[in-house]
Amino acid sequence: MATDSLLPKRFNKLLIANRGEIAMRILRACHELGISTVAVFSDADRHALHVRYATEAYHIGPSPARDSYLRMDKIIEIAKLSGAEAIHPGYGFLSERAEFAQMCVDNGIVFVGPPPEAIRIMGDKQTARDTAVAAGVPIVPGASAGTDEELIEAAKNVGFPLLVKASAGGGGKGMRPVHKSVDLPDALAAARREAKAAFGDDTVYLERLIENGRHIEIQVLADMHGNVIHLGERECSLQRRHQKVIEESPSFVVDEELRQRMGEIAVAAAKAVDYVSAGTIEFLLDRDKNFYFLEMNTRVQVEHPITELVTGVDIVQEQLRIARGRRLRFKQEDIKMKGWAIECRINAEDPYNNYLPSTGMITVSRLPTGPGVRVDTGVFPGYEITPYYDSMISKLICYGETRGEAILRMRRALEEYRIMGVKTNIPFHQHMMDSHRFLTGQFDTHFVEERFKMSDREAPLVMEAAILATLMAHQQGQHASQIVAPGDRDTSNWKWYSRWERLRK
Amino acid sequence: MKVRRTCLKTPMKYITTVNDEEFIIEIEHNNQIVVNGVRYDIDFQHLPEADALSLLLNHRSLEAVVEERDDVWDVLTKGEVYTVKVQDERAYRLAKARGVASEVTGEAQMKSPMPGLIVAVPVSEGQHVEKGDKIIILESMKMENELRAPKAGIVARINVAQGASVEKDQVLAVIVDEEER
Repeated sequence: MATDSLLPKRFNKLLIANRGEIAMRILRACHELGISTVAVFSDADRHALHVRYATEAYHIGPSPARDSYLRMDKIIEIAKLSGAEAIHPGYGFLSERAEFAQMCVDNGIVFVGPPPEAIRIMGDKQTARDTAVAAGVPIVPGASAGTDEELIEAAKNVGFPLLVKASAGGGGKGMRPVHKSVDLPDALAAARREAKAAFGDDTVYLERLIENGRHIEIQVLADMHGNVIHLGERECSLQRRHQKVIEESPSFVVDEELRQRMGEIAVAAAKAVDYVSAGTIEFLLDRDKNFYFLEMNTRVQVEHPITELVTGVDIVQEQLRIARGRRLRFKQEDIKMKGWAIECRINAEDPYNNYLPSTGMITVSRLPTGPGVRVDTGVFPGYEITPYYDSMISKLICYGETRGEAILRMRRALEEYRIMGVKTNIPFHQHMMDSHRFLTGQFDTHFVEERFKMSDREAPLVMEAAILATLMAHQQGQHASQIVAPGDRDTSNWKWYSRWERLRK
Repeated sequence: MKVRRTCLKTPMKYITTVNDEEFIIEIEHNNQIVVNGVRYDIDFQHLPEADALSLLLNHRSLEAVVEERDDVWDVLTKGEVYTVKVQDERAYRLAKARGVASEVTGEAQMKSPMPGLIVAVPVSEGQHVEKGDKIIILESMKMENELRAPKAGIVARINVAQGASVEKDQVLAVIVDEEER
């Protein structure tokens, strides 16, 4: 099988086919294990941290991802040129492209991830569902892909409300909720159109719509020797437009018995595709604690750090060890979840203006520190948030002995965080940390979009902000009037003022 | 006993606006201010190296990052960014006078907040729109973003079509008051 082509191989130099915070995360794990790193970068990223901190760095093309971070041929070429014996794809970009994993294998390069076949099976939702069923993994009742007529007929058995989903889908594209049978034909047409445009494939299938469902996922680790363990669950129900914004581990609603059941099923799903490396099985959990397989992510996840904090397992280091052919160092009974971890994704977007992305230069980035706080980021003062890549600035992760402690710590860290130059969603996170529903764990995957309003929030320091700005303006005006009348200056007051400050030192 | 008066500068009066709320702030002394008639002791320090302002307001410690942008100040403190307009009395009166004039020619230009691709333009020229209606769908940073009408009125002009690439600050559409037509 595919595992034969992934013969254990020691490597000492690894190419990171990614950018931003995850490139830094991988780079750090490599350097801790004595593996030297090769960074690749686009035009926009010459100054990026992953370039400056890597052992070597190579330019791969213009800023748009399709001309740089998605260029499989270029990346393989640079791996060979630099003598990198392995490639870590991170998340996004090429991480779930079976074709790329296959190219690595064909070129004798270790792909730090699962075998191409596992990516292929899990990458197609319909095949993944069929595979799950065969392995005894529960799936949301639904109907397999077919013609519109077949699906309309099958919908009678599935029942309403239901979801039309694109087989090649992701990120909510090609997905349509349908509440009444009369709306189904239109929804099928719309979903097919959207799926065709987004993925070049208009295959769709039906799934019963689980109301008040929670998104719970299980982290697994698998080595090349058939050992598979799980690292417990992550609660990822807080999403906006199918993008997770806050994750926590463990989940408020998962007890030890449920964790074990979900964990065993997740391990079975991984074994069904001869999985290797770190992977995540996503489940939908309904009100009655029934859970259904949604999909498997065959890569490291954005939110992996919360699992690291509660289990003490360094997931990226484990990926590297596994890729080197080592056996897992942990047995299932060694994995004990301790404490509570929460992650807030800090994005460059304006929560007060429909979450509109914000671009521009980061002028100030002062990170929160202190006990129990971890920040994974690739951003620094002078860094430009460009429209070429996603809008994530950093991941703020807080740990506490209990959920309450983790929340209090997160509030404190959000208050300490200073980012200027772009709008951020920090106020969104602060508002969530104050929300009664969040505090009591009462939320589902629709909570953020349907029942959470930023307009409820009263900014607490309006008068103080007025005083601060007035004092600043006053001080600037006083200095300015001593030297030159405002109209005679050819530059902004602020620039002029800071020059004056420097002269004075 | 008028010793204190010797260190008094000319008292300056500012009208400062945050979220439509106005504050009258008088700075009459280096370590005292009056806000809406209430006197506060202050110790104000500007730390350029740390990009920070430190203010002790009746000994309550506040730290902020403050940046000037166009003619407003962005004040970041405890996670929130406040947009603050500071005007001295003279500027305030001038702006009031001008403000009345600009309301009459109520034309709102919708500029692209970032470079991107126009995915859809769900309105057409001459159409009446309400404040908050979707005018342009712009794809950028891997997301579709809805640009909404800043005010109610008539769509006077649409400068872009579906599929167009746009630059930051490019004027995409113009909305005018109903009665202007």
